[in-house]
Amino acid sequence: MAKRITIDPITRIEGHLRIDVQINDNNVVDDSWSSVQMFRGIETILRGSDPASAWSLAQRFCGVCTTTHALGSIRCVEDALNVEIPFNAQMLRNLVLTIQSLQDHIVHFYHLTALDWIDIVSATKADPVKAGKIAEGLSGWPKNSVNDMKEAKDKLTAFVSTGNLGIYSAGYWGHEDMRLSPEINLMAFSHYLQALDAQRQAAQAVAIIGGKNPHIQNLCVGGVSTQLNMDGYTGLNIEKLDWLGDIIGTVDKFINQVYVPDVLAIGGIYKDWFNMGKASPNYISTPDIPLDGKATKFAIKGGVIIGKSVREFKDWKDTDLRSKITETSKHAWYEENDPLHPYVGEQTPNYTDFEDDGKYTWCKAPRYDGNVTQTGPIAQIMVNYKLGHASTVKYVDYVRSKLGLTVDQLNSTMGRNAARAIKTLVMVDYTKECYQLLIDNYASGDTAYNNPTTIPAGEYKGVGFNEAPRGMLSHWVVIKDKLITNYEAVVPSTWVASPRDNENKKGPYEESLMNLKVADAKNPLEIVRTIHSFDPCIACAVHTVDPDGVEFVKVKVR
Amino acid sequence: MKKIVVMGIGNYIFTDEGIGVHAIMELEKLKLPENVELVDCGTASMFTNSHIADADILIAIDAIASDKEPGAIVVYDKEDIMLSRVPMKISPHQIGFQETLLHARLRGDIPDIVKLVGVVPKSLDASIVLTDECQKSLPEVVKIVLDFIEEFNK
Repeated sequence: MAKRITIDPITRIEGHLRIDVQINDNNVVDDSWSSVQMFRGIETILRGSDPASAWSLAQRFCGVCTTTHALGSIRCVEDALNVEIPFNAQMLRNLVLTIQSLQDHIVHFYHLTALDWIDIVSATKADPVKAGKIAEGLSGWPKNSVNDMKEAKDKLTAFVSTGNLGIYSAGYWGHEDMRLSPEINLMAFSHYLQALDAQRQAAQAVAIIGGKNPHIQNLCVGGVSTQLNMDGYTGLNIEKLDWLGDIIGTVDKFINQVYVPDVLAIGGIYKDWFNMGKASPNYISTPDIPLDGKATKFAIKGGVIIGKSVREFKDWKDTDLRSKITETSKHAWYEENDPLHPYVGEQTPNYTDFEDDGKYTWCKAPRYDGNVTQTGPIAQIMVNYKLGHASTVKYVDYVRSKLGLTVDQLNSTMGRNAARAIKTLVMVDYTKECYQLLIDNYASGDTAYNNPTTIPAGEYKGVGFNEAPRGMLSHWVVIKDKLITNYEAVVPSTWVASPRDNENKKGPYEESLMNLKVADAKNPLEIVRTIHSFDPCIACAVHTVDPDGVEFVKVKVR
Repeated sequence: MKKIVVMGIGNYIFTDEGIGVHAIMELEKLKLPENVELVDCGTASMFTNSHIADADILIAIDAIASDKEPGAIVVYDKEDIMLSRVPMKISPHQIGFQETLLHARLRGDIPDIVKLVGVVPKSLDASIVLTDECQKSLPEVVKIVLDFIEEFNK
């Protein structure tokens, strides 16, 4: 008889994700639902507010990607008013965008999904000498020594021996598909701890530019408020820029010598996971990292792939990009069932309880030209590869040759993790490039950082795109008489966590779960791995409940 | 001198969820000793571990789910948090906070003293204005934090 597994995070307050699957007698998934269990409606608080300061509230939309929402918001207002920004401002914004990506992807791999693949309890049985040898064989990273492995093992053993695993108690330790040797588990755990340093440094880099982190302070319509003041004591002076350069160098090393080798090593051992978790081969990404003040030239390409055909978006003015995105709520808890363009998006709630064939989520279903479409690192990589973007092609081919993969295999559970690592390699190169472009431009005598702009009377519409860590983010604003009259954020996770649409086509999370074989219904590791590979913004600990509400696996939180 | 970090946790745009951030905004209006750093960490949780690593004493302020009436204030110590004696079903950033403390412990840079000042929310709707119940508790939250600062600076 078919069984239903519900995986629901433990939390009630912030947006959380519930996944339901139906498995048949052979434990294979034959139906699936993705449900966001929180009413957002946050855009409504921007209605009636000042467009010039909307970014400051918009960066609270998400607790993790604050800066990308700040950028999306300022870009939509600048788009509406057709504002050009100084080159220096563009580079500083690019640095914030790229560094946030680096930090986010490191955290995703080590702290949000690694424990789905590595077994920390097994790591306590590792031989640190062997672990050190394996680690030293992977790269010349200075903290791969036997002593480093021994130190990590001691810390872990002391912790595990307390018998209180705290947040780790929700892990799937000992699951039959945890297949890394104790030594590789130990190496990965050691890097898990070291990754905390790398992401901490990245956070400091954003704070150097943005004034504060997690909430940057330095945006304004027309540029940034960060004064470039190389020889002075205040503003972004030479001392701070040197510090920033050092941090970028350290994070670059971590990515190249630790993160990417780990993804390759773990991906190689779980190679069959490149054949599971496939979603529709449709992808959307936006051009980003503008290389001039008018945003006519971009470092990374944007475009859309529907099946075999690709169409490039040369810039943010592209008429298809601006007109073919709709959101539908036939299966979401909103009144309006028909597809709507974001400028006229509606958010009137219509809660019905969870109806398998009706409405079952607070997440709308974004579609491009009616197609189910993935966004995220996988989309950026697929689009750029197909459009011949040089560094993307280089890194994709590097990873493919190491693992023996086809490009299409990146559309999979492990493939999305690999695509994220490839994207990180692309982004760290541009971080270095934008840093150098900023310094060179300043050295040439250009110190401008802001084109002061006041909000004019009249009616304006604009959209701000950006390639956020989880994919294409767009903020859509309608301004009338100096105030915001409508605001809609189409966030990356909405594209992939989407429910069925008006034609009842499943969203990408739902598609990716179909036909997965679940070895142990009470420990649905396969589902957790697959959903985590999308880097859902709400990647909390999960527990399992059966249809009667009895908890199978309880996250021990008290 | 020991470094005291006061961290406001929560989402400012969800009414009482943002009580931690509102408290930081109140504290920013006051003249505090030089060894005190105020951090509006929003819901970035583990992305803010640099602030935790820098602290000798950490005072966190957050909304907390409880059977008590809205606006009620409950203070927890480090061991309550590490042993998960804090009532859960709070929010993902709460897990993030626990996880961040655990990471700090594993790395050996957990603050000597950790206090969590929890406030029971009434509304979590989209708004940047606290409910009357939580607004009324705000001065008390600030006072608790100031008392801690005074005590730790003795």
